[in-house]
Amino acid sequence: MPERSIIQSSGFANIGPVAARSGFAVRLRQPNYRALRLSLIEGIDITVDGEHFAAEASTILLNGRDYTHAQMAETTAIRWAVGECLSVIVPRSGGLKPGVHEVGCVLRLRHPYFPPQFQPAFVRESRHITIIR
Amino acid sequence: MSSFKYGVSLYSYTDDIGTVMDLDEALEHVADTGATGIEILSESHIPAYPMPSTAWIDRWFARIETLRLVPTNMATWVDTRLTLTRDMSEQEGAAQLAQDLKLAHRLGFRFIRPKFGVVDGELTPHPIWRGAVERVLDLAHDLNLIIMPEIHAPTPIRHPVTEAYVDFIQKTGTRNFGLLIDTGIFQDRPLPYWPGETPEIRKAALSFLDGIAVPVEHLAEVIDYVPFIQAKFHHIDEHLHDHHIPWERIVPMLKRLNYTGYLSSEYEGARDPWVAIEQVRRQHCLLRRLESAYDAAQEPLHA
Repeated sequence: MPERSIIQSSGFANIGPVAARSGFAVRLRQPNYRALRLSLIEGIDITVDGEHFAAEASTILLNGRDYTHAQMAETTAIRWAVGECLSVIVPRSGGLKPGVHEVGCVLRLRHPYFPPQFQPAFVRESRHITIIR
Repeated sequence: MSSFKYGVSLYSYTDDIGTVMDLDEALEHVADTGATGIEILSESHIPAYPMPSTAWIDRWFARIETLRLVPTNMATWVDTRLTLTRDMSEQEGAAQLAQDLKLAHRLGFRFIRPKFGVVDGELTPHPIWRGAVERVLDLAHDLNLIIMPEIHAPTPIRHPVTEAYVDFIQKTGTRNFGLLIDTGIFQDRPLPYWPGETPEIRKAALSFLDGIAVPVEHLAEVIDYVPFIQAKFHHIDEHLHDHHIPWERIVPMLKRLNYTGYLSSEYEGARDPWVAIEQVRRQHCLLRRLESAYDAAQEPLHA
């Protein structure tokens, strides 16, 4: 089972060959009490040690499939289930230095049954997690 | 003497299910309260919703049979604001309801609670609700299911939203549509601030969390249309004192109104691991104690 926190320790990893890292991945537990159609996720922003990575530049990896930000907005039949994790794939030349980082996430979620002034709703978390190599 | 039926919504174990307990364990905790009714959330608790595997369905029936649980309500959603650029049509809303009615029927449920998208702060449902529901009333009848919108804070009983639902029932004459009362509407003391909430946010946008304190007497005006009650609560202390919901007024009123449907626990409090298990048990002890006290007080009249 995933960790209780939204941001997961496992899954935090650099992407690409050691000498040519293209970015990194952050694994998140689904934070809502019901499944989320991808079209209800308006974006997932990531920060690492204060550096901001906007949702629009990242892709999402869910059940082996990649989704760009624009694709997610139109994907109504695929859901991010409760208890399931996805990875935010963040492009960053060189990746991240191995070690402990302070990683934050802000999820912008649309709950149609919430009044309009609460659209989107924000889910925020930050914690220290470790990238091993 | 007629009595309530007791149930538990798996919503109570939010955040625990999937991190510190699985569905089977959650069902065991429900059964151990002595409750019979099991309420689930479609998109939360059915793997691969809306198309669970036949193996999962077999397992579901095996588990509830072993634990002597009866499926009550399956909570569902009609995501009217489907994407940022378009809303669901009436047909799409009806298709969503039809899909959920059929799934609920396959899993043995008697009620579905669709949560329609809303258009304002008073929780006025998206205008497709009426046409969408009308299109599936025959299906609900054939499947012996009742569709219930939820009367939930900040919407009280005396309100155009509730009145529109009652008007729909009266005009269509349907027996397959009713009101689900969430007992959060009777909350008469403030909730503690949720994580991230400030006094300013509470005052500006979330004042209903201080409690909208609907008088329990208002139940009499709609009880004929109420087939199911979600017993929402937030904290019950070790003296069985509920800090927010006035059960000592709700239970006698429901007894006087001859309500014999479910009280389905919906714990919505601190989400620290395992807290919900004990909170639900306290509520069942409290509700049963109040019901027994009411019944005992009536007995001399019938002696």
